[in-house]
Amino acid sequence: MAPPTNKAVAAPRWSHTPTTPLLLWLGVSLPLVAWDTGYMLMRPHTMPGGSLHWPLWVPYALYGEVDHLYGFKQWHLKNSFAAAQSLMNLVESLMYLGYLALWYSYGKPAAPGGRKAVGGRVGAIAALLGFSAAVMTVSKTVLYYSSTIARPSDANSPTSTEPDEDDRTFDPRAPRSNFSLYPLEYLLYCEDCHQIRCPRCVTEEIVTYYCPNCLFEVPSSNLKSEGNRCFQCPICIGPLAVTSVETKPDPGLLAAPDSASPHSGPYALTCSYCNWSSTEVGIKFEKPNSIHAQLAKLRNGGETRLTAKEQKERRKDPSYRPQAAAQGELGEAEALDLETQFANLKLLYQKQLADPNAADNGLAALGDLGFSSPTSLSRIMSIYTGGSLQDKKPKSRVGAMREALEANEGLQLADLDESAAIAQLQDEGLDGTASTSQLADQPPNIGEVHLHGSDRFISELRPIPYLLRTKRSKRCPVCRHIISKPEAKVQTTRFRIRLVAGSYIPSIAIRPLSLSSGSSASGAAVPGALLEPLKPTHFLLTFKNPIFETIKVTLGAPAKTPGRFASKVTVLCPDFEIDANTDVWDEALKEGGERDRERERRRRKGEEGSGGGSNNNHNQLEVGKIWERGRNWVSIVVEVVPASLTVEHGEGPLREDEDVLEIPMFVRVEWEAETGGEDVGTAPSKDKEAREKRELAYWCVLGLGRIRQ
Amino acid sequence: MSSKRHSILPPVSSGPKPPVHFSSSITIADSAVLTGTHPIAIHSESVVHPRARLDSLAGRLTVGRRCVVHERATLGAIGTSGRITEAAVTLGDYVVVEVGAAIEAGETVIGEGTVVGVGARVGAGAVIGKHCTLTPHTEIAAGEVVPDFTVVFSNGMRRTDKRGVAELKNKGLARQIDVLRRMIPSNPAKFA
Ligand SMILES: [Zn+2]
Ligand SMILES: [Zn+2]
Ligand SMILES: [Zn+2]
Ligand SMILES: [Zn+2]
Repeated sequence: MAPPTNKAVAAPRWSHTPTTPLLLWLGVSLPLVAWDTGYMLMRPHTMPGGSLHWPLWVPYALYGEVDHLYGFKQWHLKNSFAAAQSLMNLVESLMYLGYLALWYSYGKPAAPGGRKAVGGRVGAIAALLGFSAAVMTVSKTVLYYSSTIARPSDANSPTSTEPDEDDRTFDPRAPRSNFSLYPLEYLLYCEDCHQIRCPRCVTEEIVTYYCPNCLFEVPSSNLKSEGNRCFQCPICIGPLAVTSVETKPDPGLLAAPDSASPHSGPYALTCSYCNWSSTEVGIKFEKPNSIHAQLAKLRNGGETRLTAKEQKERRKDPSYRPQAAAQGELGEAEALDLETQFANLKLLYQKQLADPNAADNGLAALGDLGFSSPTSLSRIMSIYTGGSLQDKKPKSRVGAMREALEANEGLQLADLDESAAIAQLQDEGLDGTASTSQLADQPPNIGEVHLHGSDRFISELRPIPYLLRTKRSKRCPVCRHIISKPEAKVQTTRFRIRLVAGSYIPSIAIRPLSLSSGSSASGAAVPGALLEPLKPTHFLLTFKNPIFETIKVTLGAPAKTPGRFASKVTVLCPDFEIDANTDVWDEALKEGGERDRERERRRRKGEEGSGGGSNNNHNQLEVGKIWERGRNWVSIVVEVVPASLTVEHGEGPLREDEDVLEIPMFVRVEWEAETGGEDVGTAPSKDKEAREKRELAYWCVLGLGRIRQ
Repeated sequence: MSSKRHSILPPVSSGPKPPVHFSSSITIADSAVLTGTHPIAIHSESVVHPRARLDSLAGRLTVGRRCVVHERATLGAIGTSGRITEAAVTLGDYVVVEVGAAIEAGETVIGEGTVVGVGARVGAGAVIGKHCTLTPHTEIAAGEVVPDFTVVFSNGMRRTDKRGVAELKNKGLARQIDVLRRMIPSNPAKFA
């Protein structure tokens, strides 16, 4: 199949004839492709159970099990890839057919008994068609292989489970449901997207940081630099107060109380609840303010701690080293605090990374294995990617990382001598040790001693700076509009913007309904009473419409609740309208009120006639009729037959809360609203009164009570 | 039902009037309740708040110097563990018994400088050391001995107060008493 060229078109003597392998290939592939394409494009009828499945596409039942693209799984996922590629197959096959047809109808045998050949313009078109189809075949094949390689395994891919869940009945017992169920009060609503927004799907922004103890608003620029002003007791988490430590207590029990002496340093943090004082860990402050900064520089026991910078400068100072050596400080193990050690180590490694030729096999054993060398990583990568196994031998070990050797490189010897701690433990007993929560509350103190032999005793706990709290505004993640914004001032609890879902979607109140007469059903009339198993019980659901439009509500509930013990649920009236939440006074004063009232009366009467909603006609339940209707509310009846909680032999015992009867219910709300309310600029078209239909649908769960065991 | 709010305490004159030994410098509110048959001794500069209850039915009560007994605190209650002994309750000097605390009778001793927190309960025969702090709603079992400088939390945890500010605390208490003396009208004659 020679590619056609301009020259070929120009030369009339040129002719084209398909080769035998090509004809053979087309003879096999075209019927196959037609079969396959037919299957794909006529799904679901061609799938097992479909009207066209038998007899032609029976083998696909098996194949669909293996290749999920062909099976029900991807069909349910509405995967359009398979169908799309079938369409391409169809185009490709038609092109092949066109090629064959051109060749067959226009071709003339070049020699008697020879194969037909087409020449001229027609021949060129045929060759072009054939070539294009061949290119499609090649590209399709490549696409298949690459998609097979790139496809994640079916079991783990998120797409294979999530859309599934949308179609399924919501199961309130599923472990994941805990994360998607919220009380109505917790939900917000985006007015622009017309969607409910739960705490999980809003984006938050911090409006204010404040101290929960003194309600001081901390400017965000000062967060890191200044730190908290208030501290908590490490023992009992009570607030700590700054008090001056008076060193000279006045003896003499009954001496007359002297006049309050002027407070002067040193100062300490004291807890008025448990009498803890920071002097217990040897911390005293010179000034009563900026405690945080002072505390950062103090170690337990009151020694000051150098900042990393100061320490570095001290090291650079040539007069320091001999002096330190003389003191024996530098000799064996210099105690580094955590930050200094980290800074030293980081410096060491960075130096080595920057200079890979610094050959210094400080740790030869590790260097041999090559774990610590940067080149070893690339070597390992080449094994996995390129398979050049002969390259396994390292060419050079020059780049091996050297480990720290001295304190100024970050070497810190472990202090394995724990006899002091053991002695203290024997002395103070278990009461002297800090509890896990006390340890967890401890802030990562700057200048902390190295981990070996660090805080395990109550006597080493330091003051805890109060964790700052925040006020946050919430945005819709889709349209970025703010849906909740608190007042920035810490003292106020008000909100500037707060679009709670409760003012957009109907609330549902549940009340057990007792039918005074009628032997068929008598329910748990007392709220909170246990539900009798296998006994039909009725509940009155009152839907209250919060918006100023009439809404149409459609309910969907599974006939049986999900879970091991399936209770039967019947929503007697799953489809109803609720009047708008008009102002009570508006309603009464409306001029057309007379007519409306008339209409209202008619409507009620209509229901009365059919036995649904009047007060005297209580004990008749009828499917499709609402129970009662008010200004902006409607009550309907749900009949429930609670499951019996008898556990079959061999099954597990009753799990926690398995006796709670919860009905998942799908609520769809439709209403008409004025358009252009929020997007005036976009549609100033002819009728301002244009109303658009809106729809909101969601799952909710109604908890009805516990079933008697 | 009368709409008038009733007093929590029963009429004062219900019990026998105990013999008292008051220092001349004490402050005792008119509406404090002193009942029982054994002597009640209150030493110098101590303050008894209104509606505090001192019950000497089970034995002698001794309140040390510069003590403060707050409202509705009860000394010498029979309670759940109280029993009749010669000395029912002995408060050392500088003891503060906070609002609603109860110290049961039966040779119970509260050491010098100790604070019995709001609503705390000290069982009969307990001996609380010096300068202890019983935090609010702490319960000390009957007969327990609490060492000096102990802070007892209401959940039972304990720690030692290492501030060494006992003198300072006493001084502060002295100042507080100074204020209280001016604020609480004293009427020791009523109990004599
Ligand atoms: Zn959400
Ligand atoms: Zn604060
Ligand atoms: Zn504390
Ligand atoms: Zn939105």
